[in-house]
Amino acid sequence: MEDAGGGEETPAPEAPHLPPLAPAEQQGLLFQEETIDLGGDEFGSEENESVSEDSSPLVDKLNEHMMESVLISDSPNNSEGDAGELGPVRDEAEPRGEGDPGPEPEGTLSPTGEADGDCAPGDALEDKATVPGTGGAPRQDAARETPGSEAEAEAALPEQTPPAADPVPVCTIFSQRAPPAPGDGFEPQMVKSPSFGGASEAPARTPPQAVQPSPSLSTFFGDAAASHSLASDFFDSFTTSAFVSVSNPGAGSPAPASPPPLSVPGTEGRPEPAATRGPQAAAPPASPEPFAHIQAVFAGSDDPFATALSMSEMDRRNDAWLPSEATRGVLRAVAAQQRGAVFVDKEKLTMPGLRFDNIQGDAVKDLMLRFLGEKAAAKRQVLNASSVEPSFVGLKQLISCRNWRAAVDLCGRLLTAHGQGYGKSGLPTSHTTDSLQLWFVRLALLVKLGLFQNAEMEFEPFGNLDQPDLYYEYYPHVYPGRRGSMVPFSMRILHAELQQYLGNPQESLDRLHRVKTVCSKILANLEQGLAEDGGMSSVTQEGRQASIRLWRSRLGRVMYSMANCLLLMKDYVLAVEAYHSVITYYPEQEPQLLSGIGRIALQIGDIKTAEKYFQDVEKVTQKLDGLQGKIMVLMNRAFLYLGQNNFAEAHRFFTEILRMDPANAVANNNAAVCLLYLGKLKDSLRQLEAMVQRDPRHYLHESVLFNLTTMYELESSRSMQKKQSLLEAVASKEGDSFNTQCLKLA
Amino acid sequence: MFCFVLLFYFTVMRLTKPTLFTNIPVTCEEKDLPGDLFNQLMRDDPSTVNGAEVLMLGEMLTLPQNFGNIFLGETFSSYISVHNDSNQVVKDILVKADLQTSSQRLNLSASNAAVAELKPDCCIDDVIHHEVKEIGTHILVCAVSYTTQAGEKMYFRKFFKFQVSNITMVNSFYTDEVFLEAQIQNITTSPMFMEKVSLEPSIMYNVTELNSVSQAGECVSTFRSRAYLQPMDTRQYLYCLKPKKEFAEKAGIIKGVTVIGKLDIVWKTNLGERGRLQTSQLQRMAPGYGDVRLSLEAIPDTVNLEEPFHITCKITNCSSERTMDLVLEMCNTNSIHWCGISGRQLGKLHPSSSLCLALTLLSSVQGLQSVSGLRLTDTFLKRTYEYDDIAQVCVVSSAIKVES
Repeated sequence: MEDAGGGEETPAPEAPHLPPLAPAEQQGLLFQEETIDLGGDEFGSEENESVSEDSSPLVDKLNEHMMESVLISDSPNNSEGDAGELGPVRDEAEPRGEGDPGPEPEGTLSPTGEADGDCAPGDALEDKATVPGTGGAPRQDAARETPGSEAEAEAALPEQTPPAADPVPVCTIFSQRAPPAPGDGFEPQMVKSPSFGGASEAPARTPPQAVQPSPSLSTFFGDAAASHSLASDFFDSFTTSAFVSVSNPGAGSPAPASPPPLSVPGTEGRPEPAATRGPQAAAPPASPEPFAHIQAVFAGSDDPFATALSMSEMDRRNDAWLPSEATRGVLRAVAAQQRGAVFVDKEKLTMPGLRFDNIQGDAVKDLMLRFLGEKAAAKRQVLNASSVEPSFVGLKQLISCRNWRAAVDLCGRLLTAHGQGYGKSGLPTSHTTDSLQLWFVRLALLVKLGLFQNAEMEFEPFGNLDQPDLYYEYYPHVYPGRRGSMVPFSMRILHAELQQYLGNPQESLDRLHRVKTVCSKILANLEQGLAEDGGMSSVTQEGRQASIRLWRSRLGRVMYSMANCLLLMKDYVLAVEAYHSVITYYPEQEPQLLSGIGRIALQIGDIKTAEKYFQDVEKVTQKLDGLQGKIMVLMNRAFLYLGQNNFAEAHRFFTEILRMDPANAVANNNAAVCLLYLGKLKDSLRQLEAMVQRDPRHYLHESVLFNLTTMYELESSRSMQKKQSLLEAVASKEGDSFNTQCLKLA
Repeated sequence: MFCFVLLFYFTVMRLTKPTLFTNIPVTCEEKDLPGDLFNQLMRDDPSTVNGAEVLMLGEMLTLPQNFGNIFLGETFSSYISVHNDSNQVVKDILVKADLQTSSQRLNLSASNAAVAELKPDCCIDDVIHHEVKEIGTHILVCAVSYTTQAGEKMYFRKFFKFQVSNITMVNSFYTDEVFLEAQIQNITTSPMFMEKVSLEPSIMYNVTELNSVSQAGECVSTFRSRAYLQPMDTRQYLYCLKPKKEFAEKAGIIKGVTVIGKLDIVWKTNLGERGRLQTSQLQRMAPGYGDVRLSLEAIPDTVNLEEPFHITCKITNCSSERTMDLVLEMCNTNSIHWCGISGRQLGKLHPSSSLCLALTLLSSVQGLQSVSGLRLTDTFLKRTYEYDDIAQVCVVSSAIKVES
């Protein structure tokens, strides 16, 4: 509500019954004359008429007005703000890349890395030889130093597929230590293992023949990880998670120029000189080194099935994807020509790079500086990208303690190490399972943070996620026999959903439909007894069933996204239809989904339909016993009363839920909201405050805080102090991803 | 000089219905880098639906974020909070909320009794409701009067201004006879569920709503599942009005401007936020029938080509006191051919009486054909009345069987 601001001109229709008529009031009698200014102007003193002559100071007090539009979520300001930071951030980052004098100057990334390009193969070899001395040697120690992770690693070991255990010397970016598991790409258990201590024996024996002018991470992270152990952990995490890197021009590694020193018979395949990869056309990285070694491994056995076997069933199932006709053509050509150069139009290649180097920031701390002073702000301690180990473990640590901004940063660093850092967009590069996973995590976090524009910028080079170099078949030497797409399925969903947050829901739907088409085709293939990609299949019955389950659930996930998108588009009829079809894929979510549809009906104002759905929920939940079903039923009843404008009854049902489940955040919050509508502001505040105090970790949720601050503003002039104390509570519990807008401080 | 202490914190907040919080679901699969982490984060988020985290529409209610728009017919609700910020007890507090519109002033306060005393940090709360019945500027005038500890009588006011706009645009069209078509457009920015759109007829008419069809014994709305109106959507409601017997008999009465009735519209928006609107009396200019009115009693809708068919006409003498002597002439048109004798004497017709006439005709052209070419001549006044486009029939080839 806007105050009728604009001081003197404010009409005072009631003036007549005030004996001392001020001139202002006389004006006020002319009520119909639209003399009121809307909006911005605060109350002038004249409108606060007071019988007492000395009442004018009152005015200051009355200047506050309640209603200010506040957006809780996804304000474009948010991303704009970050975009604004790009400039300085860039400046900051570049010198670091160049100027950091690391222990291995040749190994540093980007500018210095290019110097490596001129190195003779011999130099490169020497270069490699220094690696164990600096980065390599302490690494094993470091692995030992983390017993927890080692135990995890050991637990994971037996699950590795046999070929992975072979000490195949394949070059990796960061060390030659870890065996690449050719057939066993990215197993979940491997991801979990931070440092593969147990596997370290094999690489120890590996001769450093696979020379890669590896970007020295210890230099790269020199400032971040002062101690060796951290840097080496980073190495570990990459190697253990099969971070098999082929020569990466983008990383400045002149890989093709470095021949395998220990040539194995059968490696006549010379790499394409870097020069032949013009800017217009690029050959699939022939990756001579890995190729050489793989040749070595399989040199003896002519068994064509060996490669097929090395591809685990789970990988096949997960990675399956149907490329478009054009992409299929390229992949076929790659397969046919093996080591020959297949020229692919540059436009068809994926060349991602960071578009902004550092979004790190902590809005909570900034607010503290502004409102609570430096001293208080100094107490705010959150993890940042430098304070965890630069590895997947550190990344997960940041994510789970809700420091998503720092996690985005860390993803950026890890990607920079892979040669896809800032400014590398548009430069030839190659992809691995891990690099794509890192991109997925980074982009997913950007979306979670509401930084949609930034996510869009960085997603752009990936095109429609169907470029040939995103398929394993494009790298027959790195991933022999492996088929399918490196792009995680969830990344496709993210790619599609992003558009709806940018205001293009139609594009979202188009993308989701494309994903749905492929999922349906794969399911159809499976149901016909074929492999996912339509080829002949030798999969066991259980294997096929597992695959059908996986793809059905993926199809359901696509439908979910479509339904959500339609809901955002306010096309309620189609959204309801789509949610109905989700039920067929996730029957266990039927009561929740039916309740959701009922709430959609309530949102439109269609109370009768809502009631019908809520009754359906009651029927479904009768079969289940347990707390969850009861709560759902009560929740729906409360909502129905809300729709009938009966806040008292709604409050009764929310309270009923609290009797069964006192910690229920939704019921707590909603009961408090009902109290406000019943005119019980103080009770409402008490309820919310009690809830936040009971478990701040859980209940400092932006929706709850938004309600709380709104009520503070309604309650008294002390709202600012109360908001600031909320800020303090937030500061001690929440990570850097906290959306400070809900505190309404700024 | 007397130093005045700030006593009250006084705010008004409009209470529109709360909204449901929506979250941004981001998931990953077990095999992806974050493993279960993203899904766990969603499970931990209290705003997601337990067990169906991907469902965007949560259950968490959030308070209105801004004043929003208010439309004619909606209920304006506000929370009025007066809080004693001082450390002294204030006495005889009277909070009064009035709504000033361009035409009147309404008192909205629930009670007009003064509160005897208000201790420090206590507050007076009031929730006011008002169904908005006027468009244009409204001003909420909140006045607080009280007595300080020193015994001083104090009084202050605050003004809150808002605009009320029209929510739906109702355009009515009248067809020649007795059909009323009402167009309702949602000119707000949020979807709107039309709970009720009905025509309350004036005493002269009976009304039949033509907005639902009977399907398998159940009444189904012609709008089917599209029960709601998106912003800027327009929907047409159709009503058939028939004059009541007692009025229909007296043809003279339904003449000139008649009152048809009024539309009663009830809609709901977010979480059942209700609005109701009644139009003013819809008026209709009754078609001037002149002295002699010819109306159709019976006509087939589909006829065969080149086959005779029958219609029944009713001729009414609408003049007040004049008896007529009528001659019927039938003129053929391109497609319609009349069968029988033209220039037939119909005899005398007294005021307000009518006679029925069975006529035969055939069509020589296929398609939708208009029945035209009837002429009535009053021999007393030598006045001829022309009747064209009386009705339409669909003429089909005789090869197609006409369903009776």
